[in-house]
Amino acid sequence: MDNAQARFEVVYRETYGQITAYAARRCASPQDAADVVAETFAITWRRIGELPDGEEATLWLYGVARKVLANHHRGEFRRQARSVQLDAEMADLYGASPDSGVELKAIAQIFQTLSDDDRELLSLVAWEGLDRQEVATVLGLSRNAVRIRLHRARRRFARALAEADVRFTSESRLVPAERQL
Amino acid sequence: MKNIDDIDAITRRLARVEPGRPGGRPSDAGARTLLASITAEEPGPSVARPRRHRPRRLVLGLAGAGLLAAGIVMVPSLLQNGVSPSYAVTKNSDGVVYVKVRDFRDAAGLSKQLKELDVPAIVDYAPPGMWCREPRGTYVQDIPAGLYSVPENIPGEESAGGWQMRIDTKLFEPGQTFVWTIGEEGTSTILMNDPVAPCVLVPDDSHQPKVYESDYQLATTKGRSLAGLRVDEKTVGEVLPELRQRGLKITYVILEIPPGNPGGYIELGTQTTPVGDDWIVWEAEESIRKPGEIRLLVTDKRYDKNPIYGGPRDNVIQE
Repeated sequence: MDNAQARFEVVYRETYGQITAYAARRCASPQDAADVVAETFAITWRRIGELPDGEEATLWLYGVARKVLANHHRGEFRRQARSVQLDAEMADLYGASPDSGVELKAIAQIFQTLSDDDRELLSLVAWEGLDRQEVATVLGLSRNAVRIRLHRARRRFARALAEADVRFTSESRLVPAERQL
Repeated sequence: MKNIDDIDAITRRLARVEPGRPGGRPSDAGARTLLASITAEEPGPSVARPRRHRPRRLVLGLAGAGLLAAGIVMVPSLLQNGVSPSYAVTKNSDGVVYVKVRDFRDAAGLSKQLKELDVPAIVDYAPPGMWCREPRGTYVQDIPAGLYSVPENIPGEESAGGWQMRIDTKLFEPGQTFVWTIGEEGTSTILMNDPVAPCVLVPDDSHQPKVYESDYQLATTKGRSLAGLRVDEKTVGEVLPELRQRGLKITYVILEIPPGNPGGYIELGTQTTPVGDDWIVWEAEESIRKPGEIRLLVTDKRYDKNPIYGGPRDNVIQE
């Protein structure tokens, strides 16, 4: 086995859980998530020479996944035979929705009205648990730009929630934060 | 206003896969199959492959006016998951030939089979970075309608990446030859007048695809700058007042539509000079980097269906 393959397999094993979670959190269907996962790793293999070492590798993969997802949303994507193999496993992630009350649905709808950029910033922090520097690396922005944009995104989300008068019980079933910013 | 921790806590609750938890496991069967299928291919030379387009959004690889009139069709080659045989040519009794290409390197095989079916054609393979020296002959300017179709998916093999083209051999005039140049990244098909010079390979990068990272994205969908506004199939005159009122900077992308409007288009050019009010808008895109910049995809006349979506927008985008 040559170096490139050995290296790819290590990265694949280490990041598979994170990339599948990333895709499932953002795609409306398991099929879309399977496409994004398969394409993200296929691109990574084709660009193995550019893949950074260590922790940076995960951030680099998030960056690739983000672009794949954007292309996917634009409809410029052909379903590959190999992503079909992941459909069933991705579907498992969609089955049990632990928290699907009316209230949460309303919040989710408001979240969807935010711009893609706002949502991605909020999600990278809240879902992937990235800190500002890591978000900056994924998005190719400066740390300061992330700080400012994140602040604005949170403000816009808060305002939209307030305008919709969504009553929420933030103490209920909260998932503990990985890290605080 | 809720504080930051609240906002992040609310956002966390929206995650389908709980934050901190992995999605799938790399030891799962599907994950292992995917790994094997990816590493079975050669690792690339650290360049991104060109994006693949669905036929209905076939942004053909060449720009400039009159390409279709000259009979040039440039298609992205989609070589992967090879399905054999590498090519197939079948001829109906009415003289219609279907050319199916799956392996883009077997130029000799394709050429021979076309010849057997009386399709006057020359097929050459150009390795990466090379192309046949041009000009090889004069282009036929007057191409009969229905002589050939733009490339489309092979039915039943949509995921495999080959394409097929329909050619009506009855419509060839004597003294005309189809000149195919097949490259790793694209194929050009040009109808030329005889005589056609043989292919002399010369270094040429102009037929390599540019890695297409668009700076624009659909503007009229949820969460985007024109969410809720429908511009498709309206006239420029109907759309402009609303966009101007919003203070948006507008550019026009002029589209050329392949014969028969099978879905797909060529971007002929982009201009800020206004086009006629009676031109038709098919979609609006927004600049990813510069907020407030909108591109209208327009044609100078109305077509029977929306070329961006190969039919009504509602069939493709459902919100």
